[in-house]
Amino acid sequence: MTKTKTYNRQNLLIVVLVILALSFILVGRLAYLMIVQSVYYGDLARQIHERERPIKAERGRIYDRNGIEIAGNKPVSTISVIHSQIKEPERVIKVLSEELGISEDEVRKRVEKVSSIERIKSNVDKELSDKIRAYKLDGVMVDEDYKRFYPFESLASKVIGFTGSDNQGIIGLEVKYDNYLQGLDGTILTLTTAKGVEIDDAAENRIEPVAGSNLYLSLDINIQKYAEQIATKLLESKEAKSVKMLVMNPQNGELYAMVNVPEFNLNDPYTLPEGTKNPLTEKERNDQLNTMWRNECISDTYEPGSSFKVVTATAALETKSVRLNDSFFCPGYKKVEDRMIRCHKTTGHGSETFVQGIQNSCNPVFMEVGARVGVDGMYKTFRQLGLFQKTGVDLPGEANSIMHNKKNIGAVELATISFGQSFQITPLQLMTAVSTVINGGNRITPHFGVKIESSDEGNIKELSYDTKENMISKDTSETMKQLLESVVAEGSGHNAFLEGFRIGGKTATSEKLPRSSNKYISSFIGFAPADHPKIIALVLIDEPTGIYYGGTIAAPAVKELFDNVLPYIGIKPDPSIREKTKETFGQNSNLILY
Amino acid sequence: MARTSREQRNRRNRSYSYYDYSLLFLTLFLVGFGLIMIYSTSSYSAQLVKNDSMYYLKRQGISAVLGIIAMLIVSKLNYKMLLGKMPILNIKPVTALYIVSILLQVYVLFFGVEINHAKRWISLGPLGTFQPSDLSKVATVLFVSYIVYMAPKKINNITGFFRVGVYISPLIVLIGKENMSTAIVICGIMVGICFVASKKKGYFFAAGSIIVAIGALYLMLGEGYRMERVQIWLDVENHEKGFQILQGLYAIASGGLTGTGLGRSMQKLGYVPEAQNDMIFSIICEELGLFGAVTVILLFALLIWRLFIIAINAPDLYGGLITSGILVHVALQVIINVAVVTNSIPSTGIPLPFISYGGTSIAVMLVEMGIALSVSNQIKYER
Repeated sequence: MTKTKTYNRQNLLIVVLVILALSFILVGRLAYLMIVQSVYYGDLARQIHERERPIKAERGRIYDRNGIEIAGNKPVSTISVIHSQIKEPERVIKVLSEELGISEDEVRKRVEKVSSIERIKSNVDKELSDKIRAYKLDGVMVDEDYKRFYPFESLASKVIGFTGSDNQGIIGLEVKYDNYLQGLDGTILTLTTAKGVEIDDAAENRIEPVAGSNLYLSLDINIQKYAEQIATKLLESKEAKSVKMLVMNPQNGELYAMVNVPEFNLNDPYTLPEGTKNPLTEKERNDQLNTMWRNECISDTYEPGSSFKVVTATAALETKSVRLNDSFFCPGYKKVEDRMIRCHKTTGHGSETFVQGIQNSCNPVFMEVGARVGVDGMYKTFRQLGLFQKTGVDLPGEANSIMHNKKNIGAVELATISFGQSFQITPLQLMTAVSTVINGGNRITPHFGVKIESSDEGNIKELSYDTKENMISKDTSETMKQLLESVVAEGSGHNAFLEGFRIGGKTATSEKLPRSSNKYISSFIGFAPADHPKIIALVLIDEPTGIYYGGTIAAPAVKELFDNVLPYIGIKPDPSIREKTKETFGQNSNLILY
Repeated sequence: MARTSREQRNRRNRSYSYYDYSLLFLTLFLVGFGLIMIYSTSSYSAQLVKNDSMYYLKRQGISAVLGIIAMLIVSKLNYKMLLGKMPILNIKPVTALYIVSILLQVYVLFFGVEINHAKRWISLGPLGTFQPSDLSKVATVLFVSYIVYMAPKKINNITGFFRVGVYISPLIVLIGKENMSTAIVICGIMVGICFVASKKKGYFFAAGSIIVAIGALYLMLGEGYRMERVQIWLDVENHEKGFQILQGLYAIASGGLTGTGLGRSMQKLGYVPEAQNDMIFSIICEELGLFGAVTVILLFALLIWRLFIIAINAPDLYGGLITSGILVHVALQVIINVAVVTNSIPSTGIPLPFISYGGTSIAVMLVEMGIALSVSNQIKYER
């Protein structure tokens, strides 16, 4: 038997020491990896473990001037299935198809599809989704979400606009203020296995979403409602194509209402009105939708007609081309170069002063006045009143005026321009110009947005708008207010007269092109109180049937509006006013105006 | 009558049989710890693939129980029986074991079951599979020790060393074709035993250089994937096939000082492929942190310390050499495994003894411990 010798033991000791040395090196290596490199590799590892799931930021709400919510959000859910986590496919199919009202085949197709996640239905009401959640089905996921909701449905639809499925504004204020309303989406970082299955009890890393800012409008829900009622009534009684109504504060440009009837339901913006022919091609459908969504008050131009005489008169006063008691004679027409241009009163107004010319809305008077002012004077005033540029309203899709090139204007063109024909402007441009005339010469920017309240800490940002002062002289403004008040008190606008209030205004009946079509736009622009206007309203009735005179059908609409709105905004009726105006503007009174 | 004579002998010698309980308990502890870690690392993929989260645990548990029974039996047998006579055949059991190993390695080359593109397993039908290379490691320990033991003086020079090499070469060639890492371990065991037995050590440097040169040639001329592994090792973060090792590094680094807690590994959820196998140490690091990892290494160090004590106290050279062989075997596997997992060397598939999943591996390891215990049991000491 050979015994273990000393050198054997020494050798083995060497082996063991080498092993220990190697072990120390490895422990060192481990310590390096697990302490020094821990953060580096740990981060890399987390990146592959974590999956980002976006959390939608709640979109900012929109409030009217009284703080009433007109665009909000309603919680809805998206129901999806995760194939790898489904344990009872048959039960899942049965429950989902019954609860969601989808055919079993449809649900089966998605449940049996081998994919990481399959959406079954989105925009499911919270109540229903809570019910589905209560089934506690494995592999069925209920994701909460928000859906834009408009409590007043069709109210001011073309102004407010709506959003798409991606929480992005499509038309109206929702587009204009999209950046403020959208907010910042957050993310949930969940841990997943290598197959991408989320681990239930793992701590989630959340980056909270930042809700969008709230938008406060100058729009007044009551004025808007009332204006819409009047407009709808007119639309029906006059079987008109559309009725537009704009209501604004002429001093600062805050829009109280903007009506385009027929409106559409903001909660269901893709359904065309009843009676649309079916089926439509995709293009036809899109065209019809765009027409339905179009805000004609700012996107469409028209020939303003007689209401534009306000501008002509202003130009005449500014250039001092006319004095109020200058006398004119209207034989029922005026010959300009080789053209006979007729007055609306074909028998003629006979002899009249400038004041009476305005009250009668006499075309020959204004052709004469326009000729006296001249193209330069007219265009200078147009420019001062902002008729060559967009108003800058905070709505998308605003159109600009279509004006004659100055050098192409001959006597005939000048004559027609003088009473509001042969060029086109938007209704809002007209209202802005008239506001400038009656507010003392300040060209304001019409707008809806007043302030923006951010969701964090409620920081409020007041929105400011451009005002160009002294566009016309104060004197001209004062005179124009009185002249327009006299139109309502004594002239063609008498149907807008409201007992106890001082109202100014101008009627218009525009013949649509081609003239032979016999289609009209009847309109009236009115403001009150006449001496210090706090509200201005413009109503346009597009293609009314039957009587189409602005003074007959449009003026009463403004009267009806003012009857309710003036007390609402705090203007009290004064019974003595009638007498006063009679004194001032009566046919036989000696009107003393500058 | 027999009893009295034994009592008399005992009284005359006044000596008792030693039994290394420390080694036994270290082994049992490592096996138990291994089973916990296997459950922790494999339950997720077992549930996913086999629909039974205990699948791997159960299989490993059966192997471990069988291995422990075998270990206890072997530990009570006298290891010198290996050099005794066998009935009928006129060869020693140790030689027979060696020949059986070679035959099994030949068999596996032709009829082996291929798992993960490697033909290393023999199918045992319903009992599962058997990996003969694990058996070959024990055979190597026992057979090399036997050759050296028969002529201990010859090993003092290089020709004696080569003589051993020639005896072992058939096994190395057969295994090396399919499983280089096991071939390396077998070479290591052989060199280790010879080193312990040799009076002169100078030639080991020469022999070592030759082995390194052969290894390098083998790398370059052998199958392409081996060179690729070197490239992965050098640039694990960017190499497209560095995925497994990189995921292991993620796991280790995620552990930090104290780990994520038992069962809380993220990387075992499919990121580290087959986390219960060779990569199990990375998950131990992730779940138990640096403290846990160092503790595991310390347990192995203690185990090696016990083997060292047994080897130097062995009653004869053969017992000392086989214990040394076992010591080298365990140490090599632990060091290579940890080195691979930490990307300290190019990757090669070596399981972590007692802990990695693998029925044959744990059973054979336990039998080896049984042999070491058997050697310890032959140590006589006086009270």
